[in-house]
Amino acid sequence: MTSGLLYRAVLRHDTLSETGASTGTRRLLAWALIALSLMLSGCNSGESTEPLPNTGSSSSNSNYSGPAPATDDVQNFKLSVWDNLVSTDRCGGCHAAGGQSPEFVHDGDINIAYARANTVVNLSDPSQSRMVTKVAGGHNCWLPSDSACADTLTSYIENWAGGSSGSAKKVELRAPAIHDPGSTKSFPDDSTDFANTVHPLLATYCSDCHVEGVQSPYFASPDVDTAYNEAKSKINLQSPADSRFVVRLRDEFHNCWDGDCAAAANEMQSAIELFAGNLTAQPIDSDLVASKALTLTGDGLVANSGGRFEDNVIALYEFKTGTGNTAFDTSGVEPALHLTLNGNVTWVGGWGINIGAGYVDEDTGQTIRDGKAQGSTSASRKLHDLITASGEYSIEAWVVPANTTQEDARIITYSGSGTSRNVTLSQTLQNYEVLQRSTTTDQTVPFATADGDERLQASLQHVVINFTASEGRKIFINGEDTGDVDPQNAGLLNEWDDSFALVLGNETDGNSLWQGSLRMVAIHNRALTPAQIRENFEAGVGQKYFLLFSVSHLIDVPQSYVVFQVSEYDNYSYLFTKPFFISLDDTQTPAGIPLQGMRIGINGKAATVGQAFANLDVSLNGADYTPGSGQPLSPLGTIIAKEKGPDSDEFFLSFERLGDHTNVTIEASLPPAPTPDDLAPVSDIGLKTFDEINASMSAMTDVPTTNAAVADTYATVRQQLPSSETIEGFQSSQQMGITQMAIQYCNELVSDTALRSGYFPGFNFGAAAQVAFDSTGRSQIIDPLLNRMVGQNLPSQPDTVAVRTELNALMDTLTQCGAGCASDRTETVVKASCAAVLGSAVTLVQ
Amino acid sequence: MEISVHTGQGKRPAIRTACAWALVLTAVWGQATITAANERDQAKRIHDRIAGVPPSGAVLDSMAADILSGDPEAAAYTAMESSAFYDVTLKNLVAPWTNEAMSSFVPLNDYTATVIGLVRDDADFRTLLYDDVLYVGDSSLGLPNYSISNNDHYVALEDGGYSLKDALVRVPQSNRNGLPPGATAGVLTSRAASRAFFSGGTNRAMFRFTLLNHLCNDLEQVHDITRPPDRIRQDVSRSPGGDSRVFLNNCVGCHSGMDPMAQAFAYYDYQYNPNTDPDGALGKLVYNAVGMTDPDTGTRVQAKYHINSANFEFGYVTPDDHWDNYWRHGANRRLGWDSALDGSGDGAKSLGRELASSDAFAECQVKKVFKAVCLRAPVDGNDRSQIATMTADFKSSGYHLKQVFAESAVYCMGE
Repeated sequence: MTSGLLYRAVLRHDTLSETGASTGTRRLLAWALIALSLMLSGCNSGESTEPLPNTGSSSSNSNYSGPAPATDDVQNFKLSVWDNLVSTDRCGGCHAAGGQSPEFVHDGDINIAYARANTVVNLSDPSQSRMVTKVAGGHNCWLPSDSACADTLTSYIENWAGGSSGSAKKVELRAPAIHDPGSTKSFPDDSTDFANTVHPLLATYCSDCHVEGVQSPYFASPDVDTAYNEAKSKINLQSPADSRFVVRLRDEFHNCWDGDCAAAANEMQSAIELFAGNLTAQPIDSDLVASKALTLTGDGLVANSGGRFEDNVIALYEFKTGTGNTAFDTSGVEPALHLTLNGNVTWVGGWGINIGAGYVDEDTGQTIRDGKAQGSTSASRKLHDLITASGEYSIEAWVVPANTTQEDARIITYSGSGTSRNVTLSQTLQNYEVLQRSTTTDQTVPFATADGDERLQASLQHVVINFTASEGRKIFINGEDTGDVDPQNAGLLNEWDDSFALVLGNETDGNSLWQGSLRMVAIHNRALTPAQIRENFEAGVGQKYFLLFSVSHLIDVPQSYVVFQVSEYDNYSYLFTKPFFISLDDTQTPAGIPLQGMRIGINGKAATVGQAFANLDVSLNGADYTPGSGQPLSPLGTIIAKEKGPDSDEFFLSFERLGDHTNVTIEASLPPAPTPDDLAPVSDIGLKTFDEINASMSAMTDVPTTNAAVADTYATVRQQLPSSETIEGFQSSQQMGITQMAIQYCNELVSDTALRSGYFPGFNFGAAAQVAFDSTGRSQIIDPLLNRMVGQNLPSQPDTVAVRTELNALMDTLTQCGAGCASDRTETVVKASCAAVLGSAVTLVQ
Repeated sequence: MEISVHTGQGKRPAIRTACAWALVLTAVWGQATITAANERDQAKRIHDRIAGVPPSGAVLDSMAADILSGDPEAAAYTAMESSAFYDVTLKNLVAPWTNEAMSSFVPLNDYTATVIGLVRDDADFRTLLYDDVLYVGDSSLGLPNYSISNNDHYVALEDGGYSLKDALVRVPQSNRNGLPPGATAGVLTSRAASRAFFSGGTNRAMFRFTLLNHLCNDLEQVHDITRPPDRIRQDVSRSPGGDSRVFLNNCVGCHSGMDPMAQAFAYYDYQYNPNTDPDGALGKLVYNAVGMTDPDTGTRVQAKYHINSANFEFGYVTPDDHWDNYWRHGANRRLGWDSALDGSGDGAKSLGRELASSDAFAECQVKKVFKAVCLRAPVDGNDRSQIATMTADFKSSGYHLKQVFAESAVYCMGE
């Protein structure tokens, strides 16, 4: 192993590996592509054709007339790099023949240019080429975004490198700088100091752009709290000169005021120093068994190992810029199909954009439209040209649907209107849908994932739509074929319209908003194979880092670290995954070191939420440890809330036990539970509920609940009866149900001669109504009703004298027909009297 | 007032008048309520509240005599002799626990019958959540046999008008539903609970509704974001809709405690045909016993525990039915876990014991009975003190629910 300050360990974790197919060859001539396009557009598309790397070149390509390329590699260099950079508005203005060294776009001899270029590229890791890092650092980028230029250059070099860059990439772990946790300052909750120091500069000089409705982030918002929250990630409290606000002015010359970037940067730096000067760092609890501390972007090692298959990508959006109104196409295939962000579109931390619904800004009164990202029709034409040439495509995206309730919501569309398109990926509820123009498909009829499968989740998902002439459309989610079968035969794409535009998050007319986040979008003009799709899914999305938390001071293993892979998960959290222990000294092996209760600390304290490793209990030992790759500690991951942003948040680990060091916290006893507030007084009485009423009536009449007529009526009115005892909720409709039940019970009681003779002993039901209800007869009816239904000597029940009076009055009324009464009048009067009592509060109230 | 009713024998216009008279009598009753209650009124109220029906004259006399002699609880126990206490009061108390909609309008089922039987037999009510117990209709009644794939047995028992006080017979659940005895967990493994809470989904419903129905806490009340999230499964998005604050502030508060306990149900599922039987009326409880392997998980764990695994690939992958109670730490210590238990185990039975042995379980049963009898939740210090007293009595005297009914009825019998 190496010695000195730099230590390395070559890791081959599954997340770090890369297959040889991951970067590929994109070498063929642009004119060959065009020629093939003409050939294929007239034949049965896609069958048995050879993959066509995409080599669209800059439209400003010069007419080269120098010596022929000496080798195939020089030829590849010319096509992939030189043609794209030679124009004077890119690198040709300086690095051409006789210009500034190195002359990597020498326009007199391509072989000289090739030789010079080899001094500034790294073909095994194109993103680390000097040419790329120089531009990424702000050196004469031809786009508004340095990172977009860097990514585009990387694509050019990858195209040149072809298979030579396809070997498995190795991530070398290097020891980070050591610093103790708790040495960082934290932003105060209150925005007052910010309002008095930094905000006035932002509001004065940045408010033409960085306010709501114009361009995110809104750190110049007139609302100080909004501005404060947006500005935190641009302020470095520990080192104000390194604040993004200052660097942007001093080194990147971004919209300096008064025409003097240095002065503007100094003014901004002074304001931040004033703001930070009032703050003091909070040291961590001295009892903690803590690792050394790290920041994500300052100390993290970039962990992305490529691993994506992009040989045939023709438009690529990684949304790395994080600011501005343009999403750059960094596919390297010209013309670049950049997208303009309109309406409610905001950037997502860790790469991405969020598309939201329109709204009216309360502060400014300004109406913000529904969001969308749209390219020009002229630049979009390359999709038409390259896809109709191949006759197949893959549309690949990492998406986060905001919900599972939106319908006909356009995620990605290449279309002319709401009803006219080439291809569209949209969401309806929990389904992904694909609409496509071809010789066999109706462009308005979606091919969708099956309803019951609920494929679409409001979560980060990798979605690929494939189309080939042999298999038609297929949908892959999270690396797996959904199995949904295209109901239409695969047709030809030669009817595609070249006047349409690529739009993300909406339709061209702005009427089919999709709400959610897009973390990456790639369009390929060859269908990805299932293996390639799986590979791209497993490569993940977003910038990933390794954080090496030093624990050498806690255990007797030199150069020892607990390592996490960490990324920005979204705007609000970090993702920490798969921790492992390693010593960068390959001669070292841990021998039975206990590690328990590991917690992630942020800015001097343990994170409140997300301590997924708090129950960890492992032994670091030789059996589980492999020199060079370490010992996995857990397969889990967790998210930790952002506080200051990836540039400033300082992380550390603490342990309940690591080696001989322990810090087991004892939970404090719970404070006494608060005494609940008294509630409003509640009625002491209540209603009987449905079954109670039924059972009570049965008990009061001796008619069983299983009586067919009663059971039938009960089944009809059951849910009409009170279901709650709350007397305040009593409704007239419930009384109607009770009355029907009472009438039915009394009807069954009186109609049954055995029952009625037992219930009303002595009463002559055969007598006519005008004689049956004499004084004796009335008593024979009323007395049993009072005894059985009202009860005796119950002050809470109705007064029996009053009830008797009312029943007599009822009988008087019902027997007024005299000799003219119908023959069944006597029974009817008894039933009515019975029902009057049974259907009253004597039954209902308890 | 014009009212008509179908009685099966045509309309009876004269009887419509009865309705109006019923309202008149209601008004008469209303005037009477201002009179102070005596022991006869108290007896009637106890009977009404416990049995749901008025007492006969003889029963009323007997109960009033008990009250007059200073033993009102004896009067309450007399009221519990009424079959309506089982057929009406207990059935309607329990029915909402047996379905997700918490509806009372559901047929009698094995869950309800088992609760009624345990109360009738003065069993330790905690066994409700962990014993190998089931109550079925007496075989002499000629009912359809208990079936694991329909509820006909209980529908016939209910529709036949049989008194549950007399008709229910205790049997080992494992004898009827085929579960290994060690996999039974009282009503948690009843067919009704399985249909309601194991069908579809992720089996978290069984935990949530047990918490709700038997510890009287919905997840919102036990929300604690500080518990370690290491057992939250992969299907829970950590950034719902792209906003991880939702997870950090909300989801984690329930799932961090729920998922490690709901793991106890990892071997259970409710199988039914969603196409021909969308409500699962003909479905059955299934359980992966020792030696059985789910084809999707490769273990005894049901496939539903591994669904939507791409939502968060770094989430927990359930390997078995081992559960841990993370709420023994943090704010949910207030639920009063039994220190004699160790807060972890394997399977539903030991989880049922963990839940049933908590203070919250005992207090919950008391509160439910109090509300059923007093027709209100506790409203003031006196009520809360009474709840505390009854909870202590319930725990110290063998967890007999009848006693809670008696004490509640006496407390609310009026003065």
